[in-house]
Amino acid sequence: MKRGKQVPFRIGTTTPRCDACTKVTGQEKYAADYYGDHFFWAGVKRAGTPHGKLLKVNTEDAKRLKGVVAVLTSEDVAGSNRVGIIRGDQPVLADKKICYAGDPLALVIAENKEALQAAVGFITFDHEPLPGVFDVEEALKKGAPLVHEDSPEGNLLRLVSVETGKGASAFDECDVIVEGVFQTPFQEHAYLETEAGWAYLDDSEQLVVVTTTQTPFRDRNEMAPALGIDVEKIRVIVPYLGGAFGGKDGIAIQCLLGLAALHTGGVPVKMWWGREESFLASTKRLSARMRYRLGVKRDGTFHALECRAYFDTGAYAGLGETVMTLGLEHAGSAYRIPNVSIEGSCVYTNNTVGGPFRGFGVTQVTAAMEQVIDMAAQRLSIDPLAIRRSNALEKGDKNCIGVTLTHSTGIKKCLAALSEHPLWREKEGWKMKAEQFKKRGVGIACMAHAMGYPAVVPDFANAKIEFTGEGRFRIYAGIVDMGQGNTSTYAHIAGAMLGQDTSVFELVQPDTERTLPSGSSSASRTTYVYGNALIIAVEDLKKRILDKALHLFCSAQAEELMLVPGGIRHREGKKKVSLRKVAGLFDEPERTCTAHFRSPAATEMLDRIYLGPHIIFSYAAHLSYVEIDMLTGCAEVIGYLAVTDAGNVINPQAYEQQIQGGIAQGIGFALSEDYKVANGHTDTNNLATYIIPTAMDVPDMMSVAVDNVEETGPFGMKGIGEISISGPVPAIANAVADACGIRIGRNPITAENIFQALQKQDDQEKPR
Amino acid sequence: MAREVLLPRTLDDLWEIFHAEPELHLYAGGTDLLVKLRSQPPLPSGSPSPLVCLERIDGLKGIYEEDGLVCIRACTTHSEIMKDPVIRQHFPVLTKVLSLLGSPHIRNMGTIGGNICTASPAGDTLTPLYTLGASVEARSCDSGRLMPLKSFILGPGSVALQQGEILYGIWIKKDHDFNIHHFEKIGQRKALAIAIASMAALIKLSGEGTIEKIRLAWGSVAPTVAVSHTIEDALTGKPLTENVLRDAMPLVTDALSPIDDVRASAGYRRRVATNLLLRLLQYKDA
Ligand SMILES: Cc1cc2nc3c(=O)[nH]c(=O)nc-3n(C[C@H](O)[C@H](O)[C@H](O)COP(=O)(O)OP(=O)(O)OC[C@H]3O[C@@H](n4cnc5c(N)ncnc54)[C@H](O)[C@@H]3O)c2cc1C
Repeated sequence: MKRGKQVPFRIGTTTPRCDACTKVTGQEKYAADYYGDHFFWAGVKRAGTPHGKLLKVNTEDAKRLKGVVAVLTSEDVAGSNRVGIIRGDQPVLADKKICYAGDPLALVIAENKEALQAAVGFITFDHEPLPGVFDVEEALKKGAPLVHEDSPEGNLLRLVSVETGKGASAFDECDVIVEGVFQTPFQEHAYLETEAGWAYLDDSEQLVVVTTTQTPFRDRNEMAPALGIDVEKIRVIVPYLGGAFGGKDGIAIQCLLGLAALHTGGVPVKMWWGREESFLASTKRLSARMRYRLGVKRDGTFHALECRAYFDTGAYAGLGETVMTLGLEHAGSAYRIPNVSIEGSCVYTNNTVGGPFRGFGVTQVTAAMEQVIDMAAQRLSIDPLAIRRSNALEKGDKNCIGVTLTHSTGIKKCLAALSEHPLWREKEGWKMKAEQFKKRGVGIACMAHAMGYPAVVPDFANAKIEFTGEGRFRIYAGIVDMGQGNTSTYAHIAGAMLGQDTSVFELVQPDTERTLPSGSSSASRTTYVYGNALIIAVEDLKKRILDKALHLFCSAQAEELMLVPGGIRHREGKKKVSLRKVAGLFDEPERTCTAHFRSPAATEMLDRIYLGPHIIFSYAAHLSYVEIDMLTGCAEVIGYLAVTDAGNVINPQAYEQQIQGGIAQGIGFALSEDYKVANGHTDTNNLATYIIPTAMDVPDMMSVAVDNVEETGPFGMKGIGEISISGPVPAIANAVADACGIRIGRNPITAENIFQALQKQDDQEKPR
Repeated sequence: MAREVLLPRTLDDLWEIFHAEPELHLYAGGTDLLVKLRSQPPLPSGSPSPLVCLERIDGLKGIYEEDGLVCIRACTTHSEIMKDPVIRQHFPVLTKVLSLLGSPHIRNMGTIGGNICTASPAGDTLTPLYTLGASVEARSCDSGRLMPLKSFILGPGSVALQQGEILYGIWIKKDHDFNIHHFEKIGQRKALAIAIASMAALIKLSGEGTIEKIRLAWGSVAPTVAVSHTIEDALTGKPLTENVLRDAMPLVTDALSPIDDVRASAGYRRRVATNLLLRLLQYKDA
């Protein structure tokens, strides 16, 4: 392929991502793309019933089928048979109990897919059905069936409460109090790439697992005890993921694949979940029920906040309690509120399994908080933008859990930019132009999103870059690229520092044997933490390169040399030496530079909230134009604006991709996505019934990045991956209320929900 | 076990296959059939019946005019029909419907014959074809017969094809005099959406705004397409005004018998399908 002159990467200038071409041309090899001359297929028999005592799994008939290699049950698991990063309460293969319909009962290994499918159909099980719990508040009542009989607090996985100032008693000092109950449903990640993988025992009896995960190093540590093998005997390799959004954070397919590979007599084994299995057995965004009360002074000053939240973690703990906790930490969104009383219960049910999802709890609470603000503004006849501006956090303020903000805090800048944007200034004119049977409304919402792990969980990365013998740069990315393009940004950062363009970079995707432990691909942390480590490593490497190059430029000082695309030049002279030539002067051990970076973390108030508070936040203000069809109730998002403070922008295109992707996924959550579970069973088990937005359902999205620098960030950036998903629910709900005066309090805000609410409004307004 | 797929090139080849293999599954684009097969549990043993693909039989594709009639052969894809100038000129309601069916890739694969034979209450091509008074032609190895589409569709998933018969084509009269062609579909999203309710309308509106002739059909709100002469009669001869339409709305409500499903409740379907009548006001001054 012939291309024009390559320009070196520059911070703040758009460069197409490194993986774009190989992905659109189909050359990029994903975990599902591994095949061999001789390999087996593995698959799982799942419970299909939500709660019961498991008595026996009958595998004899399946084992007898032609083409079946092995059928494994919990008895074949040599280790603890338990995973779950915090509680370790989830079995690899169910042994004593069935806790939700997706629980795996047996693992089949077969010579081909047809035999596999047939064998799975032949497995039966004996169980004693138990009454289930499907509602968070019911689950906490005395006498409710227990999901885990040995759980110390029954179905209550964790209670988190935070009180500041005078707590709820401050409501006595408020002029106006607004309240509401808000509910958000389970959300399915619906990534393009369902869970897949390829595993085998290599010549040294090491278990090699190529799979779809956001957490390769952590997985290894979980797999080893669960399967009863030495952690050193496990190697996890993670190609680019076809989407994850939090749904591949933690063990899902990894142990099953590993277990299968231990029982094939050395033959590689492949597993690839279908869409229905992925829906059934992958984690979901925790559904939430939130009772909110906001107390405000007559002038619009927020004075008191009460939040009572219930988060449904489903059958297993996973990261559920941390999801809820991050939500509670953001319960007050981006505002100063001196008195708060926040309490959340994370609850076990037999519904599904909850887990991380872009937004991580913050999306849920923001939906509630940003709606009660509009309710308060309406009561006080204050403009919704004005009330937000006067309460917005500034650096030095305390956030809603009482932690002082010492890092960049740009929400005021976001609101200022929003107020000057044509979409805000021209909104009244737009609303007036609604056609017959249509009503139009405009809504706004603010949001904050913490970056990185909470204080007591060390948040670090280890960067590694190699200057190859050919004079190219190989970056060993220890953090998975699930599609967000973080590894591409690593090349961008290194390229900008080394004066190079894309062509000299190679990106090694995570591999526990080749790349260094750097934590999960999550928490809006991937560029911040690895980028910071990489900068140190690149500085080191750059110095080494220039020092070596000195040998090729007689009588020069290192400062007089500069890196240019493909080589090194003297600042004044014409002489240019190729990188390859310089590379020839390197000894093997000198080629690689590594560096460690640990993110700054709170040192005070560590007991303020479970696992301690965060200190670096991104901020945003969103605006949506919504049109309601009064004949059908359909809400259509006509225009959308996101103004974001995520620090300095490294690659504007990559930045905007994250903003747009989050908004689109947020619009889905707001208007149509609803993983419905009734009595432990779902009717929305595929993409025909679980409605994600298409390109036709998403409007033109405008993204504005405010000028703000996070001093501790690589080139001044901070996390951008999650924040934008928290805007659409409240911004759209507020627009719907603006258009036709109804507030539904739960999403998705479907046409039918709006229609019913309009009907009710109609009935109430009718003179009797 | 692997399934056999037969790909006849001509109708004669097809009849021979029919003769040799009475137990088989027909398909054209496969966009309905393959989804259905995928959701069926695998057979424990033995070979499943073969699939016979009609897609490559040239004689089943294309759009032809004959004696003031247009024949759309059954295996013509939605994309081909949508692009066709004759259809566009004479039956814009059909073009409109097809532009809302599935997505570009589904329209490139799916056929009108498949849509009809699936006989789903939500089948989008059915409402415009009912309003256009379409007939269908079934053929077998030695005979052919023509019948109104209305009598061909027996119920959800059921059509009046006999053993050894296929749907050959759809016949529509060209010389209707409707000057308004309207279609609207309510789905859960704007593309790749199964209708919650839909309505097709053909109106002959006089220069003075009087409804001289009207045909209406609703989709997804009854076991098959819902039509009502009572409503059509009530509107005929009346001016196209909001009051006139509102007066007819109770009749619509009575004509429908929707169900609850994962997409919407029966109550919502009924009310929304009724409301869709009001959308015709947009043509008042057209
Ligand atoms: C993602 C997706 C979106 C969709 N969206 C829509 C939508 O918006 N609206 C809508 O109405 N439908 C929709 N469908 C359904 C489907 O695409 C249409 O019904 C399409 O027209 C079916 O045509 P086909 O040729 O693919 O049918 P096939 O699957 O090939 O056949 C369907 C049935 O008809 C029979 N059949 C086909 N041709 C003949 C023939 N000539 N003679 C006798 N029997 C025959 C087959 O035996 C089979 O039983 C969608 C499907 C998918 C997968």
